[in-house]
Formats: sequence, structure tokens, C-alpha cells
Amino acid sequence: MAINVNTVYQTVLLILNKEQRGYMTPLEFNKIGTQTQLEIFETYFESLNQQIRIPQTNVDYADRVLNLDEKISIFKTSGTPTYTAPSFSLPSESGLAQSTETIPTVAGTVAYTFSSITANELSNGTVQVYFDGVLQPTTAYSITGVIITLTASPVAGIPPAPNTPENVFVVVTLDDFYRLGTVTYQSGALHAQELERVTRSGLYHLLSSKLTKPSTYYPVYLYENKRLLVYPTTITSGITVDYIRKPADPLWNFTLGSNNQYVYSPNTSINFELHDAEQTELILKILLYAGVVVKSPEIVQVAAQQVAQENQNQQR
Amino acid sequence: MAIPNGGLITETNRQYYAGAQQQYITTAGAGQTMISTFDTPLVYGSSDPANNNYLLNSFDIFTSSDALTWAALTPRSAVSTTAAIAPVGGVAQGVQTIVILVANLAIIPGMIIRNSAGTITYGTVTSVTNSTTFICNIVVAIPAANPGVALSLNSPLPWSMTANIVTIASYLAAFTYIKIQLNENVIQESRGSYEYTRLNDVIDNFLIAYVGIGKLIPSVKRSDVVFHAKRGLQEFSYDTLKSVRSQELTVNYALNVIIPQDYVNYVRLSWIDGLGVQHTIYPANELTTNPFASPVQDEVGTPTQDSQDSNIQGSSQTEAAWASGDPRRINGAFSRDITDASVLMNTPYDGMLGQRYGLEPQTSQKNGWFTINEREGVFSFSSELKDKLIVLEYISDGNAYDLDARIPKLAEEALYAHMMYSILSTSSGIQEYVVRRFKQEKSAKLRNAKIRLSNIKLDQIIQVMRGKSKWIK
Repeated sequence: MAINVNTVYQTVLLILNKEQRGYMTPLEFNKIGTQTQLEIFETYFESLNQQIRIPQTNVDYADRVLNLDEKISIFKTSGTPTYTAPSFSLPSESGLAQSTETIPTVAGTVAYTFSSITANELSNGTVQVYFDGVLQPTTAYSITGVIITLTASPVAGIPPAPNTPENVFVVVTLDDFYRLGTVTYQSGALHAQELERVTRSGLYHLLSSKLTKPSTYYPVYLYENKRLLVYPTTITSGITVDYIRKPADPLWNFTLGSNNQYVYSPNTSINFELHDAEQTELILKILLYAGVVVKSPEIVQVAAQQVAQENQNQQR
Repeated sequence: MAIPNGGLITETNRQYYAGAQQQYITTAGAGQTMISTFDTPLVYGSSDPANNNYLLNSFDIFTSSDALTWAALTPRSAVSTTAAIAPVGGVAQGVQTIVILVANLAIIPGMIIRNSAGTITYGTVTSVTNSTTFICNIVVAIPAANPGVALSLNSPLPWSMTANIVTIASYLAAFTYIKIQLNENVIQESRGSYEYTRLNDVIDNFLIAYVGIGKLIPSVKRSDVVFHAKRGLQEFSYDTLKSVRSQELTVNYALNVIIPQDYVNYVRLSWIDGLGVQHTIYPANELTTNPFASPVQDEVGTPTQDSQDSNIQGSSQTEAAWASGDPRRINGAFSRDITDASVLMNTPYDGMLGQRYGLEPQTSQKNGWFTINEREGVFSFSSELKDKLIVLEYISDGNAYDLDARIPKLAEEALYAHMMYSILSTSSGIQEYVVRRFKQEKSAKLRNAKIRLSNIKLDQIIQVMRGKSKWIK
């Protein structure tokens, strides 16, 4: 359930180069791909809002609300927030969106530059560094921008033994919290209760009303500054948050071939996470941006018409 | 059908009738858990009977090797006690490593070390190294003896409970049964509960069935639903649901009883005679009253004030006169009035009652009167009821305690209709004809609920109607 990044890139290049309009580098493609994926992703929620107001057909595959939900379902996840008095922090990482890179070491060299993990990912995600498969403390390395500096210089082993460490493996788990969904509370074997989201002003009234005062049966929460304030305040654990995570940034990664050409690296690339049904729109929208990049009004016009046509068909 | 199989009944026969749930342990060890599946949430205070919080428990834990003979799992019960022999040379005070002479797997951290008679407490096990070695905090030195002092080790809190999960801290042998046994009062409260639907379920059902896309209520705040459900339950409690609240009390020398904490209105007050028959006590109505204030007046009739600028209150002379008066002067009863409903106690004098004419019918009764003294928050009674046993039947609003928050199934549909109407009538953009439709539906279902709950049975009507063939002499 993902759109292959190479398929998209090759299709975009095919259309662009057919009339010798220009070329899009992998770096440009990756940035435009990220932008396009987020753009399509964001439209889901507005489209859902519009579609739920319209009576839907009960025929399989024709219910637009269900179809949209299927596209969103890819990004639905849940997590356990951490309580730090007086509130819960949001689960920032689903753990599903990760960037990884393996860096072979060179004896005596301590600084290495990441080629696939971006500075943005490194600064916004949680970084774990392994030396030959062993998780390292943060004292064993430092990261600045896209450069990792090892505290101890790798030592060359006696041939044929490799360097120590031989490989530095870096995993960046991305902070991918996007939209808050349902918040539930469960204590032990008791039934789970859904928490109601209230506003600050509403909370004051609720707290002062004996009939509607929050209880463990009917808990409520405030959502402020990325934190959950749960009432009654006796609840300090057992909260689960369902949320939508952000799609991982696509990456068309490569190695350089014998003629310095880009050779697709499927193992280190990251596919688009959107539903397969979005492949056409994804390519069209990337083409739209590509037309701007290569300064081709024809491409922009044709792509824009196609996107508009598709949106009209989908009643967006 | 002893085992719940997906229907509305979720308790087994054993849980409902005996208030017990048992589990079979096949693996020995400490820290075993048992999840309660009773409809009633468990309440836990302490598992040590010596602790005052033990009285808060709504249940107890028993163990058995054969599921026939059960023993309560207490700090000193057989299961949590394990015999061990202290080192021959004794153990000094302080943190000590004890190597016992006989290996024992049942020793766990937290156990209290005593002598075999349980009369001397030596200390506490802090950690266990292996089956013979454990580290403990010794507060009373274990004396030297050959072959060592016999010890008994018990868990101070052999079990605990959090959110319906019971954790057995004590070591349990393999193939042991453990049982949750509810207290008798808890079992009694849950009996007959199938007659009711809990308010929580009503609210959840309402949100599922009546709220959503494509329905008349597309979305609603749950707190609104909770409010209307509780308000509905209050309204139903006043005039639809049967009154189940009553208290048996004795009228004190001051001729009053305190209004119950969850009182909303009375249904009936009656005094109980020697046969246990109840006699309705009537409200005094216009006969007397309880003044809310009785300010002390000066010689010209002006209320006087104290140093805090408030009127000085005196005692009510109306109440004093009513309390000291003889009610027979009002109701016209004989001094040899009977105090029992037994027909065997009738005397020839009783027949003379019918010869008295000219009495006010509404005051011609011998059961006494009551007033509600709002100032003191008590029911006050006329003097002939002093020391009498009375029963106060009253209604509450269904929201006083959590256990109250339930609705008879016979009125469940009426409550849904009430909630539906209340929400629609306070929502914007709902057509008036829709609101009216649900107003009618609410009224019809409420009427239906009242008929159902009035409990008119054919047999009872027949029994009453037999009286029409009785000859009146």
C-alpha cells in the first residue's frame, strides 16, 4: 500500500523528457515529492468534512466517505502519552516513520556526512546510533547539521579484520504527530471510556455543575500547547491517544554508477505512503511543480487541467 | 445457561447467586493475577484485617486446594505462611543476609519474619537471592539455637486490587484455586439488577443509536447527553419510578427524626404497631406549623438584635404547644385507645366510637400527625408518637449515589425519548414539527412507562373485587 518512489520519478522524467523540456534532479524530485504528498494528504480532511454532509451510496467501493477513510486509515495510529504533572504530553512518534543510514567508517576519520538523512529529520526526530549493531550512548557521538562526529576515532584492525567500529548505523524516528483523534481512558480491567474534548471556558462550567462534573466514567480533557489536561485530575495513567501521523518524506536515493550516473537504490529509498489510488494525482501534481522548475508553461497548463479534472470527478 | 454467552447477562450463576468467582492456578508462584468479571466494581481498602481500611473491602480472597474447603488469604493464613529454620548461630539486628537451613521457594520480598508461634516479629525480607538465601532487615535479633529457630514468614498484604485486577502477592502452590468472594451486602445489592439498565449504558446506547451522520442529531457533546440523561432520571424519579427508599426510625423525646440525606419528597410516613402493621401518619396541614424564624421581640414588638446585628432567635412557642398538647383533644379518640391492629384486642368500648358525631373527618384519626420543620431539617411528630417505631418512605432523584444511577428497563425507552426531545428542542435548526413529534413521542412513552411500572396485576384486582359480594350489615 504504498506508491513506489522510483515509478513516480521515472514517469515524471519520461513525461518531462519526451519533448526535451528539461530534467529534474533527484534532490528536486525529493523536495517536490514531499511537498506534493503533504498537499494531497491535507486535502483528505477537508474533503471528508464536505463528503460527510452528503448522503452516500451503500454500494461497495462507491461510498466516498469510506474511500476517503481508507486513504486516511494508512496514517491512523495510537500511542500512550506520558504524564508529567499536571498534564499528558502527546505521543510524538508512532515509530512507523523512520529514516536510516549506514555509514562505513574509515580508520582515523571521526566526521561523516549523512547522504540520505536530512538535517530537518535529525533535528526533529529521535536519533539512535549503533556501532556494529550495539546501541551507543549520546556521549559516543555528536551530530551537527548533517555531520556525525564520533567521540573515539575508528581503529583499523589487522587485515583482513575491519575497522572498529566497522559501520555506524543511524536510525532517526521522526516526530510524526499530525492530528489528535480520540482520547480514551482505561483503568485495569474496567471498561475504557472516551474522553470528551472541552474548551477552557466550557471546563469551568462543567466543573461547577454537579450533574456534569467530570468523573472517571465521564472524563474530559483540554488540549492546549500540545498537551492534554485530563479531568478529573486523579487520572494520571491509562490514557491512550488515537491520532493521525504525518506521512514520511519520500526519498529517491541513489548511488553513483560507473559513469557518474544516478543508480536507484531501492533499499535506502522511501516510497510515498499515500494510497495507491493517488498515484495519478501525485504524478500530475509533481509534474505541475516540475513545469515550474523547468519553466515549461505547457506542462504546467496540462498538469493543472488534469488535476482540476480529477478533483472535479472526486467532487473535492 | 450458566456461562454468559454473548447476551446481556455477563455474570455466571456462581457470581450472581453466591457472589463468588474462582480461578484455577496451574503454575506455582507469587504475583498471580485474577481479573474480576463481576458487574459490580470491586472496592479495596487493605488485605490485612488488622488494618482499619480492611473494612472498606467489598470482597475477600480465599484459596483452596480442592475448591471445597476454602481459607481466607490473610497475612497469617496457611498459604502465605512458610516454615523456615534460622541459622544455628542466630541473626543480629540490622540488614542481614540469612541462609536458612531448609530451602523454600515460597519466600518473597516484603514478607514479615516471625517466630513459629507468631508472637515475636524479627524483621522483614527485603530481597531474595535464592531458595535458601535472602536479605532482610532484622529489628529483633534472632537468638542462636540448634538446629536454629523455627520461623514463619507471612506477606503483610497478601493480595491487593486495582481496577478489578486482583494481584496475589503471596506465593501460591501449583494447582490451587483462588476465589473472589463478595461481601453479603454487595451480593444483596446486585440481586435483581437485571431489572435495571445502568445510566452509563443508556448514555452509550443513546450516542450509538441516536447520534451520528445522517441522523436527526448529527453530533452532540457527551456532557449534554449526560446532563439530559441525569435530568430525565431525576424527573422520572419524582413521578414515574417506583419508590424504593425507606428508613425505619424511632421518634425521639424531641418528637422528630432527621430528614434523610438523599430525600426529595416523602411518599408516606407510618408508625408500626406490635404486629408490624403500619398505620399512616398524616400531615398536620393547617392544624399547626413550624415557624421558620421566631425572633425575640421587645415590649413594643420589634425584633431585637445581637452583637452581630442579627435578630435574636427564641424557641418556637407554636412547636412547644403542639408538642405538649394531647392529640385526643383534636381527633376525639378515647383515652383507652388501642395501639395495635389486632382484632382480638377490640373491647366493647370501641363500639362507642361510632356514637360520636360532629367530629371533623380529616382530623378524626388516631395515628398522629407530622410536620416538616424546614428550619431544623427534621420531621416533627405529634406527642402520641413519642418512642414509636416509624417507617419513612420517600423518593430521591436517582442521582444521589452511583448505585442509584440506573433506570428500570420498563422505562428505558421513555428515557431515550426524553433525551431525544430535550436535545432536539434545545438545538438550533431543528424544524418545529420535528420537535413536536418527539414531544408527543416522549409523552406517549412516559405514559406507557407509568402504566408498566404501576404493576397492576389481574390477580390482585380479582382479590379486591371479591369484596363487592360482602354483605354490609
